Amino acid sequence: MANRKAILISPELCTGCRACQVACKAWNQLPAEKTKFSGNFASPADLSSNTLNKVRFVEAPSEDKPLRWLFVSQRCMHCEDAGCMKICPVPGAIYRTKDGAVATDPDKCIGCKLCSAACPFDVPRYGKDGKLSKCTMCADRTENSMPPACTKTCPTGALTFGDSKELIAKAKRAGYTKVYGENDLGGLGAMYAFKDAPLLYGMKENPKVPEMVVFWHKYLKPLSLISIGGVAAATLLHYAFVGPHKDKEGDDE
Amino acid sequence: MNNNNMVVMATAAERVFHWMFAISCLLLTLTGFAFLFKNASIAGVFGGFESMKSIHNWLGIVFIISLLMSSAKWLKHPLRFDADDIRWMAVAGGYLSHKVKVPPMGKLNTGQKISYVGVLLSGILLTASGFVLWFFPELKTWFLLSFIAHNLSFLFICIFIPMHIYLGTIGNPGTFQIMTSGRISYKRAKNHYPKWVAEMETGKKVLS
Ligand code: SF4
Ligand code: SF4
Ligand code: SF4
Repeated sequence: MANRKAILISPELCTGCRACQVACKAWNQLPAEKTKFSGNFASPADLSSNTLNKVRFVEAPSEDKPLRWLFVSQRCMHCEDAGCMKICPVPGAIYRTKDGAVATDPDKCIGCKLCSAACPFDVPRYGKDGKLSKCTMCADRTENSMPPACTKTCPTGALTFGDSKELIAKAKRAGYTKVYGENDLGGLGAMYAFKDAPLLYGMKENPKVPEMVVFWHKYLKPLSLISIGGVAAATLLHYAFVGPHKDKEGDDE
Repeated sequence: MNNNNMVVMATAAERVFHWMFAISCLLLTLTGFAFLFKNASIAGVFGGFESMKSIHNWLGIVFIISLLMSSAKWLKHPLRFDADDIRWMAVAGGYLSHKVKVPPMGKLNTGQKISYVGVLLSGILLTASGFVLWFFPELKTWFLLSFIAHNLSFLFICIFIPMHIYLGTIGNPGTFQIMTSGRISYKRAKNHYPKWVAEMETGKKVLS
């Protein structure tokens, strides 16, 4: 998409206040979850159908301080080359908004869960009804020229929303040589300004749509149509040019 | 036996399982294509994508039951292979030229034997992978592998369907009735399935 909108996430500015999590639940009317302390401050510990974004808490080694505590706000990455959209068998169940976000229509989703197998970031979660529930980049807000709830709430500027290109330029001016998501998967709608290697923040280097999904999309899918059509055409040609099997004389006297 | 007497080539049970299999297979293919290519018009015929998913899943049960039931009756034929089968393949069963001499065949010819085993194997793979797709989405890697296996084995069905329809109807005049009345004339049986007839008459297995 030529000029898509994006969320730029700057972990260096994040204080781990989790206001983005609260804002997301408030806007999307999602209930809180019962959580348990399991040795990490991330709460809830994982995304779910009721938790569309969360802050990851990373304890990283540091040379001059006891440790570096990194806060990484995560959600659907709104991939330009989105595995979930490729594999979904229902038109419109996952769709692209005019801002370039990857939004969902639960009324159309049939709960086949194929999208979970095609997402490089392990984002799709399913509700009790079996339907996909994930961040839509607040499509219902952005359509009305309002920024996503989480970015609107963020008090430190760790989450900002705007034109993808402008956000990248801004991050570069602030001294980040690389922006995670600038070129990955054709450009991501959730980008990170990382000071160190993405792996340290819990993000994979060079994310890719699973090869099997690409293979299926590019070759297997068209091949099935070509096979059935090709063989059907071949039988007609056979009938016309070679002719059917002749009855042996006297078969049906 | 008189040449005009009729001989039974497919019993009622065999024909019922054949048509159960044929109809479920065709509907599964149609709905499968609708999912592959996100076709809303086909989905509309089945009441939308959600109900088409249930129909596709349950048809899979009809598909595998009828496949296994008919295999219980027919599998003994494709599993017998002899020198005539090699010769049959050498002349492509006479399908590419009517001038060649086709070796005598039993109840199934070599092409039918090979495609039968292919249908059985791909049918089992389709069902096993379909089962994972239906019930085990949380098995991430297996789920995706099953998705690929489902689509790969489907390719064989895509090749088989038009071929089988053609060869069972206008491509071989006189064969279609085997799957309707189940009977053909004794003379035709002797002409087309000589080894099968001989075997029945002598009560012995005929090797080549
Ligand atoms: S992160 Fe996953 S769910 Fe989100 S757009 Fe990309 S593939 Fe789809
Ligand atoms: S679970 Fe829903 S959104 Fe995901 S692939 Fe299936 S139909 Fe599409
Ligand atoms: S963009 Fe909206 S839906 Fe997505 S994480 Fe932020 S508040 Fe939640």
